[in-house]
Amino acid sequence: MQKDQGRLRGRRPIILAAATAVAATAGLLGSFGPGTGSASSHREAPLIAGDPQADNTDVYAFTSPDDASTVSLVANWIPFEEPNGGPNFYPFATNTHYNIKIDNDGDGRADIIYRWTFRNEDRRGTSTFLYNNGPVTSLKDATLLFRQHYTLQEVTKHGTKTLVKDAIAAPSDVGKASMPDYGALRRQAVSAVGGGGRTYAGQADDSFFLDLRAFDLLYGANLKETGNDTLKGYNVNTIALQVPKKALALKGDATRNPVVGIWSTTDRKGADVKLGGVQAGGYHQVSRLGNPLVNELVSPAGLKDTFNRLDPSQDHTVKPLVNRVLNPEVPQLIQKIYGVPAPATPRKDLSEIFLSGISKNSGGPIQADLNSQLLNKDVRASRFVPAEELRLNMAVPVTAQPNRLGVLAGDLQGYPNGRRLSDDVVDIGLQALEGAAQTGKLVPALAKGDGVDANESAFGSAFPYLALPHDTSVNQAG
Amino acid sequence: MTHWKHLKRRHAAYAASVLTVALVALLVGGIAGRRRAPAPGTPAVTATGAIARYQQTLHDTPGDYRTWADLGAAYVQQARITVDPTYYPKADGALRRSLALDDTENYPAMVGMAALANARHDFAGAVRWGERAKKISPSNPDVFGTLGDAYTQLGDYPAATAAIGRMTALQPGVSSFTRASYELEQHGDVAGARRVLEQALQAAYTPADVAFCRYYLGELALHAGDLGQAAEQYGLARTADPTYVPALEGIAKTEALRGDSGSAVRDFQTVVGRIPQPQYVVEYAELLTSLKRGNEAARQRQVIDGEQRLFAANGVTDDLTASEYAADTGDAAGALAHARAEWARRRSVVVADALAWALHLNGKDTEALTYARQATRLGWRNAVFYQHKAAIEDAVGDTGAARADRATAQRANPHLDPAIPAIGRAT
Repeated sequence: MQKDQGRLRGRRPIILAAATAVAATAGLLGSFGPGTGSASSHREAPLIAGDPQADNTDVYAFTSPDDASTVSLVANWIPFEEPNGGPNFYPFATNTHYNIKIDNDGDGRADIIYRWTFRNEDRRGTSTFLYNNGPVTSLKDATLLFRQHYTLQEVTKHGTKTLVKDAIAAPSDVGKASMPDYGALRRQAVSAVGGGGRTYAGQADDSFFLDLRAFDLLYGANLKETGNDTLKGYNVNTIALQVPKKALALKGDATRNPVVGIWSTTDRKGADVKLGGVQAGGYHQVSRLGNPLVNELVSPAGLKDTFNRLDPSQDHTVKPLVNRVLNPEVPQLIQKIYGVPAPATPRKDLSEIFLSGISKNSGGPIQADLNSQLLNKDVRASRFVPAEELRLNMAVPVTAQPNRLGVLAGDLQGYPNGRRLSDDVVDIGLQALEGAAQTGKLVPALAKGDGVDANESAFGSAFPYLALPHDTSVNQAG
Repeated sequence: MTHWKHLKRRHAAYAASVLTVALVALLVGGIAGRRRAPAPGTPAVTATGAIARYQQTLHDTPGDYRTWADLGAAYVQQARITVDPTYYPKADGALRRSLALDDTENYPAMVGMAALANARHDFAGAVRWGERAKKISPSNPDVFGTLGDAYTQLGDYPAATAAIGRMTALQPGVSSFTRASYELEQHGDVAGARRVLEQALQAAYTPADVAFCRYYLGELALHAGDLGQAAEQYGLARTADPTYVPALEGIAKTEALRGDSGSAVRDFQTVVGRIPQPQYVVEYAELLTSLKRGNEAARQRQVIDGEQRLFAANGVTDDLTASEYAADTGDAAGALAHARAEWARRRSVVVADALAWALHLNGKDTEALTYARQATRLGWRNAVFYQHKAAIEDAVGDTGAARADRATAQRANPHLDPAIPAIGRAT
């Protein structure tokens, strides 16, 4: 509590400074969210209130390093959580489905949906904004005034099964004074999953690491010093699940059918009304993520919003999307600027990496059997469709010394065979776009990549593996 | 969706090299979806800060059309926040520059142009820009937000419903729900309007979003004559975000309607001191007039006149406000001239009501009645519309209809105060 007051006090000068800056016009300290009014007598709703709670940032899938009979799935939401973001901190959204989806037969449709839904337990009343009114050492402490509960369900063609009922999510890390041992809170927040496995929902360090300036390479600026992790110090909300491999495999047989496709989505509940005679209710997918960087580096500009709302089973019907995978823009830019020749198109190798998975029988140029569902013995090839999913061959054994460049460096447990927390997907992605997966050779001009090779915090050795959240502000000056 | 769309905004200020960031923005910021709101927990981010960052970026990379589009949108936002229309020409310049650099895939600049056109009350222009953006990015929620706003103001309600329905399906959340609520309110579904606003409130994440939803819950209650509920919602809006000025304007309105004129005047004074929104100044001026504080009202009228000139000089064409204000202050001829001018441009129910009332004030009641009927055609339970219609029906001698409409007005809002009409007007 003391810490909170200190923080609020500490912030005041910033607000005053902002006020001074705008005072010349009207003195509104206005947040940059919804409009406060319009020029005149017509009403405009806010146009540009973002939806970070629905924004899934990364998906990971890997054989658990400490338990090779299980797979761990990790999905992150809400980017750029500045530590100490009170008073409301960073709750998961209610009226929202947070999903991790599994396609084990290669038809682009989810065969298994793991679905987390949250509810709030808010005891703050109207008298306090504070998240807690004393130290919190247990998830059940009365001092924790705002708590989120969640239910985990498994949706299959056989119906919906509740795997975890009303578990408690770990709260946002309020800081050392309020939460002296966040690790303990996290351990309490790991819940057993019916049918085997466990799950965690709560805050964590953002496990993605990159230097955005790496993309200078693409636009021909001077080769400046890279190597700063742009996401350093920020937190995310994470949902992690560890389940036996057989739970994910087609026909429950991870030996015959070791490959699964994975992606996460967020579905927001629609308006509970009729609009123009049409029911606007139900849940609507607003965000989707499988492979890292696909929507950013591959989708055409006008299709990014569409992509977020598509089911992978529809991907192959969207010609501009498929064309962009086959004829990507990035290698053209690199050729123009650096003279590194762009690989010949159509890029069937990229289609394998992003859309079908890598296997000799997928019709692509990469001579390897790695992670297409077509490798599953019980898959009917006639029903297989190219679909953007993160594909994991669960039979690939855990690498003792993981290589950050994954498959491209001969470490078959790494991306694009699933994705481990430590895989350097920016460097891998650039090399793959330059054809490294089909030539088997890294492109020397891009060898340095973004210069960020690892996360700022070490990952853990036990579930959920992510580093603990940061509790020091990234931007001290606001 | 990933981090990328947030990166540029959040990090431009902190990155070591502005140039680098600009170049990254070309690839990342531009191609990622448009997100203009900061993540929560950001200390009072001002549009001013964003504008300065974009300007710096553009100083180094003037060919970066995506940042020109962002800058234009930030100017529109800044104009709305500060009610300073001199930002509109700046927005126009930045957006046109962006489009000159790329007009093929550049839907963000087109959405920006649509938002700017809406802000300037050029709703037909907003439709043209929005439809162009829609062809490029058919699943972008903001496209449908600008289109929904524009079609609503033009009085093309089926098109507005379709756009807002589409937006709601694409992005359930505060932006679409608050629009859906207005849509339902205008079509007479008060309960639905309230329900979907409450849903918006549940989806609200930032304090500003919470305040916005609370304010409109307050407005719904106020226009239904439930002053207690209205005051509570406005109060909760202020608690959620003390910097959110409309909350205090709402509180001032409830005070005025309850006869607590001392508090109302004090609060209105604060409101117009912080945001000289014409609507708020008009409300304040009418309150002062009703209290026989003519000198103070006259001062506010000067403010209004000055603002109208300033808005006009910066490309805002708004005869509706001018007509309503003229009608409220006894300038019947002016009210009619302005209402006819607005009607020539757009045919929303609000404009129909203003025209009907202006015609009535000029004794043209037969003509007035056709517009009063247009105003009520959607079934909006807007007490002012029905009161106007009743007065017009009385004037043409249809006392039965007048009685019925007066009863409808009374049911819709039993607390309408004819001495301060601006405060009762639902727009």
